[in-house]
Amino acid sequence: MRYKILSVDDSKTVRIIIKKAFKLFDCDILEGANGVEGLAIATKETPDIILLDVTMPVMDGVEMLTKLKSDPALKSIPVIMLTAEGGKEHVLKIAKIGVRDYIVKPFKEELLVQKVGRIIDLKPITDAPAKAKSIFDPATLLVVEDKPAIFAQIKDGLKHTPWQVHGVASTGEAIDFCGRTAVDLIMISLSLPDESAFTLFRVLRTNLKTKYTPIFGLVVKTDAAAQQMAQQVGFTGIATKPIDIPELESKIAKAMNLDTSLRYFKTEGDMLIMSLPEVCTPTVINEVTNYLKSKVAEAVDSGMSKAVFDLHEVKRLDMPLIKMLLTAMQTCREVALVYSLVGNATLMADCKGYEDTRNWQFHENIEEARQNLQKQGATA
Amino acid sequence: MPDIQEIPDAVFQETITRAVQEVFKTMLSQNATHSPMTPEETKACLGLDSPHVVSTVGFIGSINGLIYLYMDVKFATQCAANMLGMSDAEITEAGEEAVNDAIGELTNMTVGTFKNQLSDKGFPCKLTIPSIMRGSNFQIESISTATRRTYRFIIAGQTLIADLLMQPPSE
Repeated sequence: MRYKILSVDDSKTVRIIIKKAFKLFDCDILEGANGVEGLAIATKETPDIILLDVTMPVMDGVEMLTKLKSDPALKSIPVIMLTAEGGKEHVLKIAKIGVRDYIVKPFKEELLVQKVGRIIDLKPITDAPAKAKSIFDPATLLVVEDKPAIFAQIKDGLKHTPWQVHGVASTGEAIDFCGRTAVDLIMISLSLPDESAFTLFRVLRTNLKTKYTPIFGLVVKTDAAAQQMAQQVGFTGIATKPIDIPELESKIAKAMNLDTSLRYFKTEGDMLIMSLPEVCTPTVINEVTNYLKSKVAEAVDSGMSKAVFDLHEVKRLDMPLIKMLLTAMQTCREVALVYSLVGNATLMADCKGYEDTRNWQFHENIEEARQNLQKQGATA
Repeated sequence: MPDIQEIPDAVFQETITRAVQEVFKTMLSQNATHSPMTPEETKACLGLDSPHVVSTVGFIGSINGLIYLYMDVKFATQCAANMLGMSDAEITEAGEEAVNDAIGELTNMTVGTFKNQLSDKGFPCKLTIPSIMRGSNFQIESISTATRRTYRFIIAGQTLIADLLMQPPSE
């Protein structure tokens, strides 16, 4: 939902400063130059918050606030007074009419954003080109860990990804880093001294730049208490030490909402190709299953009539994999997509051992599979 | 309520200095330094002979007064550009109206900060709406019953004059 912020001030300068302050956030700024305009806009647009000056021509802020609070349809709109009128008596008088906060000019834009952010759930504008969307897009990860070996393990383990992994050893360095860099995901060691991981988590969640950034807790597998505490305070996920890199990579992709389908699905000419990796972990099976229907539907929708299941890298056949392949075949049959299998000698031998797979026919490579599918098409 | 005549000059100087410093630091990230003037310098700085922007905001209540801020057009334009986050070219394109509005708001904030300190000292009053004047050859004179205090500030090598005209409320 895009929030509406109504700025009522006779000074165009103040209205420009307010627009500037919120330009990085997902909200619309509405403007009125006096109380009459402010009330009209409030009635028409029902803003989520009003920033109201006091001294204005035509109708001043106190009169507008009084009218607003006496209108049943508008009285619940939170109002922040933003005014040069800051004498104690004056503030008390206005507070009695009903305002959520009071900012005395001069003001820093950061203070304004912070106070508004306490009332409405301000979200930074999604900067599409800068944000990672697919598993092949660059992203910035921050590891807050005082043990260099763990950081090195994560950095080394993720070096095949396009992600930049940065490491800091303390909470102060982490806050500084997040202040100057847009971070896509943060991993914090829960064993930092004095439970500072939890303090850092809270600081990051109150900062608008990192309010929605996924944060993982890094913790020893056996430390159930720390894991429970992290879940209670709202960490996005937990990565246990010793680090299982494929599992961590998968969790990161999920937390950053990355499209991982390109790992498994691609199209070549009029063919959809589903490729499976050497080791089909439950995570892989789960991901492929989740993408399967939509990818097949997309292929058919764009005029494709053939599919190849490329299993030449797969080292071992097991029941979850068989089940997933049977689902894939069924899905293709439902939309009249003809398919072929590509495999290796081990896999072919494994297939003979199961009732459901003993009759599967494999090709040695994708080209051979393609030719077979073309023949099938010609015969049909 | 205390008597305005009993407030020493030093308090007004301290109050306006704090107001100017706070506003320029917060809105423009610039430091303002009070630069005392001789009577001759004071007289000279109020007689304008080059293009200036003069902005004023009044306060009405237990003290009635006006504060004028004087700045030359170049400094006023720089302040406006800084405040609005505009480049030199953008502020030039935005025109005199944008500069006037920004300087009016800067004055509103300065006088507001000054007035709020007076209110908290027991002199409650309200602000008026800013007025802006531009010109090259003019002098603002006060009425005989008003008390006039003039202060000079140096901000980023430029001069800002704050001219306080005050009188007690009429009986």
